[in-house]
Amino acid sequence: MSLKELLSSTTSADRFLFLLLLLLSLSGILFVKEVLPGGSTVQIEANGRPAYILPLDKDGTVTVEGPLGKTLIEIKNQRVRVADSPCSNKLCIEQGWVKSGTIICLPNRVVIRVGDHDKSTTVDATTG
Amino acid sequence: MKVKSNGKKYLSLVTLYFSLVALLSSCSSPGEHIFRKTAFLMDTLVTITVVSATKENAEKTTDAAFSEIGSLAKLFDFFSPESEISKINKNAGISEVKVSPDVIELLEKATYISDKTGGAFDVTIGPIERLYDFHKKIKPQEEEIRKNLPLVNYKDLIMNRDRSTVFLRKKGMLIDPGGIAKGYAADKATAVLIKNGIRSGIVAVAGDIKTFGLKPDGTPWRIGIRNPRAKDGEDDIMATVLLSDKAISTSGDYERFFIEDGKRYHHLLDPRTGHSAALCKCVSVIAKEGYFADALATGIFVIGPERGIKILEKLGFDGLIVDSQNQIYITPKIRGKIEFKRTVEQYHFS
Repeated sequence: MSLKELLSSTTSADRFLFLLLLLLSLSGILFVKEVLPGGSTVQIEANGRPAYILPLDKDGTVTVEGPLGKTLIEIKNQRVRVADSPCSNKLCIEQGWVKSGTIICLPNRVVIRVGDHDKSTTVDATTG
Repeated sequence: MKVKSNGKKYLSLVTLYFSLVALLSSCSSPGEHIFRKTAFLMDTLVTITVVSATKENAEKTTDAAFSEIGSLAKLFDFFSPESEISKINKNAGISEVKVSPDVIELLEKATYISDKTGGAFDVTIGPIERLYDFHKKIKPQEEEIRKNLPLVNYKDLIMNRDRSTVFLRKKGMLIDPGGIAKGYAADKATAVLIKNGIRSGIVAVAGDIKTFGLKPDGTPWRIGIRNPRAKDGEDDIMATVLLSDKAISTSGDYERFFIEDGKRYHHLLDPRTGHSAALCKCVSVIAKEGYFADALATGIFVIGPERGIKILEKLGFDGLIVDSQNQIYITPKIRGKIEFKRTVEQYHFS
């Protein structure tokens, strides 16, 4: 049965039901994609390799190994910070607690990104 | 017969329904995905984002692009005695130095932008740069600046493309390519990705960003512009702009700085005075090529907002400037294309 034959053999009620089902399905897809929260994450890389992806709403500490030694990262109250670092300038520690954005420790090659990278509103890169 | 015909009809309708739903729900994943990889090169974080069908292909191509940036870093490194830039600097006032085509190309582009900015961007800023240490809060005496200023002049940088040589006319001159090298590297890495079949992606050498192509969902790349006075990472992005096949770079007085007696000393030095340029807080430039955006952001920062916007317009580029009085300037073509996170009045940059 071709599409044309199929459509000509349907009644108005059939078509209405079909459209209704289609709309319900579409709204379901949109609901799952946009309304249900994905949850912010803390993405940690050490020495150019992904080390951890952690939820921002679970308090805890984690240690990653860079070329200079161990960097201690703390997550608390939906914020993240570098609590200890073997680098000499300690700029990563000075940055303090962050809720979004990035903490970078260049000497120990540790990158911490905070945010929901699956959401379309998230930036793909940052200049400045 | 009628029952059989109706059964066939409903079976066809159900098949059509499920096919449509499957098609619609798969619209956001058409087989290509975004892959991102980072590396530490040029003393900074380099992030390469590519759109690829497979992880293997993404890895292979980004590694080739990282390798290109690594090779350029070796040529341009101001601090490594082995780099070609250091060899030119060591032979300043003595002899010309044979260099790679990339070094000639970078320096030609740098002097071109120096001309366009009336010397506000100058790749021979090295003798002044080395007098400051922003981490240790060291700034030079006026006498030291006065003594070194005559060594800063891009017109004393002599290039010979035929012989592939570079010569600095005066002893003590120093090329510091830090204000253009990252943008240039982003351009070259992008070329490597495209040559390897990648049609869409981002090369971000720190904040010097080159975008090409579109995301898998057909939209341009969304680039955040950092708030020059962000506090605790809460409002770190001031605005976003959608870009495709464009580069963007930002120069800000918050990158390397210290404050003494209420005055901010930062790394964006005016080659004509030897002091930190004081007219702007940050300048973002959008251009076709990364090297242009990178060097011009520094040059416009030094020049200041009003003349800076005019230069950008004359060159056909776009930009956003926050001046020292928190006034925001935007080139007319991108007004409305930059999305601010808050109304401009809500920003308190000081």
